[in-house]
Amino acid sequence: MGSRALGIALWLLVAAVVLVAYLFVPRLISDFHSRELAGAGVFFIAIVGLNLLTGYTGQISLGHGALMAVGGYTTAALVVHEHWRDVWTIPLAGIAAGIVGFVIGLPALRLSGLYLALATFAFAIAIPSLLKKFSGLTGGGQGLRLLEDAPLQVTGLSGTVTVFGHSMTQNHFLYYLTWGLGLVGFVIAWLVVRGGAGRTFRAVRDSEVAAASAGVDLAWTKTLAFALSGVYAGVAGALLAIQVEIVNPLSFTFLLSILLLVGAVVGGLGSLGGMIVGALFVQYLPQLSTHVSTAQGVPDFVFGAAIIAVMLLLPTGVGGLLRRLARPLTTRLYLRP
Amino acid sequence: MARASYLILLVLGALALATVASGAASETGVTPTTVTIGGTTPLSGPASAYQSVAKGAAAYFRYVNAKGGVNKRKINYIYKDDGYDPSRTADATRELVQQDKVFAIFNSLGTDQNLATRAYLNALKVPQLFTASGATTFGRDYKKYPWTIGYQPNYRAEGTIYGRYIVRHTPKASVGVLYQNDDYGKDLLAGLQRGLGAKAGLIRSKQSYNVDDPDVQSEIAKLKAAKVNTLMVFATPKFAIQAYVYARKLAWRPVVYMNAVSSAANIMGLSTAATNRKQTEGTLSIVFLKDPTDPAWRKDAGMKLYRSIMKKYRGGDPNDVYAVYGMSVAHTFVEALKKAGKNPTRAGIMKAADSLNITNDPFLLPGIAVKTGAGDHFPIDQAKLQRYHNGHWVAFGGLFRVR
Amino acid sequence: MILAFDWTQLAQQVVIGLASGGVWATLAVALVLIYRSTGVINFAQGEMAMFSTFIAWSLVEHGLSYWAAFLLTVAISFAGGVAVERAVIRPVERAPTLTVVIVTLGLFFVVNGAARWIWSPETRSLPNAFSTRPIAVGGVAFSISDLGTIAVSLAAVGLLWLFFRYTKLGLASRAAAVNPDASRLVGVRVSWMLALGWGLAAAMGAVSGMLTAPALASFDQNLMQPVLLYAFAGAVLGGLGSPLGAVVGSLLLGVLINLIGTYVNWVGTDLRLPVALAVILGVLLVRPAGLFGRPLETRV
Repeated sequence: MGSRALGIALWLLVAAVVLVAYLFVPRLISDFHSRELAGAGVFFIAIVGLNLLTGYTGQISLGHGALMAVGGYTTAALVVHEHWRDVWTIPLAGIAAGIVGFVIGLPALRLSGLYLALATFAFAIAIPSLLKKFSGLTGGGQGLRLLEDAPLQVTGLSGTVTVFGHSMTQNHFLYYLTWGLGLVGFVIAWLVVRGGAGRTFRAVRDSEVAAASAGVDLAWTKTLAFALSGVYAGVAGALLAIQVEIVNPLSFTFLLSILLLVGAVVGGLGSLGGMIVGALFVQYLPQLSTHVSTAQGVPDFVFGAAIIAVMLLLPTGVGGLLRRLARPLTTRLYLRP
Repeated sequence: MARASYLILLVLGALALATVASGAASETGVTPTTVTIGGTTPLSGPASAYQSVAKGAAAYFRYVNAKGGVNKRKINYIYKDDGYDPSRTADATRELVQQDKVFAIFNSLGTDQNLATRAYLNALKVPQLFTASGATTFGRDYKKYPWTIGYQPNYRAEGTIYGRYIVRHTPKASVGVLYQNDDYGKDLLAGLQRGLGAKAGLIRSKQSYNVDDPDVQSEIAKLKAAKVNTLMVFATPKFAIQAYVYARKLAWRPVVYMNAVSSAANIMGLSTAATNRKQTEGTLSIVFLKDPTDPAWRKDAGMKLYRSIMKKYRGGDPNDVYAVYGMSVAHTFVEALKKAGKNPTRAGIMKAADSLNITNDPFLLPGIAVKTGAGDHFPIDQAKLQRYHNGHWVAFGGLFRVR
Repeated sequence: MILAFDWTQLAQQVVIGLASGGVWATLAVALVLIYRSTGVINFAQGEMAMFSTFIAWSLVEHGLSYWAAFLLTVAISFAGGVAVERAVIRPVERAPTLTVVIVTLGLFFVVNGAARWIWSPETRSLPNAFSTRPIAVGGVAFSISDLGTIAVSLAAVGLLWLFFRYTKLGLASRAAAVNPDASRLVGVRVSWMLALGWGLAAAMGAVSGMLTAPALASFDQNLMQPVLLYAFAGAVLGGLGSPLGAVVGSLLLGVLINLIGTYVNWVGTDLRLPVALAVILGVLLVRPAGLFGRPLETRV
């Protein structure tokens, strides 16, 4: 058997394990815990998208929380004002955030490095004010409440949801929906990264000048990466709105953008597999840090200390660790006959 | 809108039937020895100073438990972190209901945070007791949300008192307003306009600021330039102190109405120290809690009890007025639980919370009753006016009804 | 239509803008210091300044005179900055820039949490270094303290300029930042130069905190969070590499925001910050290195 066939068999095995885990994890944990995992799934989708931009194209974004806001508010506005069924708003939320991502990618044509990071930072800071200003659409400071104002559009209002003849609890439904979309998004990201677009992205990351002289359209590549990344953030924002059944400016502060970036870096930039760990990290860390002690200040201290500790121990994130661990195996697979 | 609320009633009715059908002998969250309740509060992030409300309440429950609890049941109060983010409130509240199986949600902090869970809790008929928020909706909309009840005097009512006072005592005043650009500030402003009534034209200038602005120098200068002689400060402590300091910098000394959020004796003390006695002299405010930083209460029995509980049951900093609030709301819950009888049910505690008449709350100003009834779902709706004189608050006049 | 334009009002708003901008400038200089000497943005700069302010408060509470507490706090903060660099930045010195940025974000929470843990979150005040007595010139009011704050920023810029230009240590520090490898060859201890940069920035941050707390009339653990945002904006407007640019950028920003807030009604309170940020973005698009910065050459 050739090493290529062995490699394909290995990938199929991994895919099968992931699929089985996806289907059966909710049976192993309590109903509420599958809801928590759905929350981690929201982070997973946004972080995979951020990784496409930051990990593969080298553009730092401190504003991805704001793109999630665009997605979340698109969903909420369609549900509350237009009475759309909540789950059917997801594609439009992705498209809306993709367009906004494209627009905030435009300054990237002139700015690079930390200046671009600060431009996206400005966007993250400005979005709560913008949400409050256009209150007719966004509900202003109070936000929009799906369950209160459009209960019949909320999936699982009665406590159970029936999908393809299977009846399940609302929490299980949220889990399957979020991680189902998460896996689809993951596969798409994997295909992008492996394909021609991925090569162009990496060329821009490694050297803009070299990429440009090799005929890469820098402007097109960067804004495309921003737009694609925005679609992921928008879908994640939509799922967040569907899960918590509200949107509010207080949910989309700069802290959210920080969490996404921390998740992507902890997961390991330039590695897609590590993003699962990054997502679990940012989902559970805030809760775990209140378990240490609820004394004034301690949760924040523990939260920050954990981030620093992970960075010191794994400067290239979990992805970097996985690559190191897998190297002997892959080397053998590809080099020996 | 009307259609939506009709539909929600239908759906809620169906849900209620499902709950009744599965009705068990003992109530969720209640065992022969415990009653488990829960709420959310910011334990992390910039708003984490507010956690003193939950901690003061927790200390009071420990004190009650040490004395044997209520009907031999200990009160187990779980407070979870939401970082002041309503999305996290929604998650943490569902965890309390679904995972921790609490009897009731109690004393969750913040207006948007409580609004984020109100529809959910009402759909499941889980009591949402004594929301820590000054929004009017929690007391006003009880017909639509019968499982929700507020606690503190609301901001709109507070503004109304100031407006009525101005009309009665200084009808020729020229009024300027500094308010926070959110529901809290806007509610106070709306109340002021309601209280002024036909005299709403007295307001010559309204200046708002954002809670994340560094300072309000520019706003104070604009108010001074509008030539007003009465300044309404509807702002949190940081900006309230700035209002005095920047006014003095402009050599301007208006009559100040200070909202209750920022009128604690220690805050007024800082303002006086940063300016001078004349700048804060004559400031007016309302009050309903005993202020732990006010020396007037040093020998008061209620405040002695407060300090001993804070010390013995690890309530935190005893000079924190939020802790007094927490104890008062915990005191009210205990009274409601007693009233709900030997075998408390969710419906029973709601009924008790809707028919309170507590006149002995040791943490409230003497004479203030925690009172609810048919058509009155505002537990605390009385307050006193006070005037700052010579570096101290002096209460005057009778109790005001605020609603 | 303008019926009666009030020039005093305009002058007053400009002066207040300068006073606010002067406060932001002190922190902006600290941000620029770190950027110049290490090439990263320190998101924890404001929190470190807040922590220094609490140290100063404790020293004053323990009976030290204001200026003794001031100098001691600056010294402690310098040592603290060096210690932080050695403890958490040095291990990731060679990691990607983003890793270092994430560490500073982690530091943000650690320092803020520690300050809440050690000192309760009540509102406090710190005495002012300068007189706050109101002064009025032609109907425009300000205080000695406003002038003093701006003077301190400019003095710090001057001192830093002298230090980086004329002292051996300063020159070595600059060399280490511009070309670490060549500096190592000529015997500069590059790693310690980064620590020096952190120490200086922390000391400047301490000065900033001790001027900001009285200028904003009171302080708690959230003291520097709003200021950090404006300091960033001011530093970017001026050009991240230039201390003088940071001061000028912050002052311009202060005036800009006040004038927008006073004269452009449709902007209102909600849009004041987004509009100011949009203006900065506009400046950056025309001059990507800010008003005073020099554009970097790109290496292949």
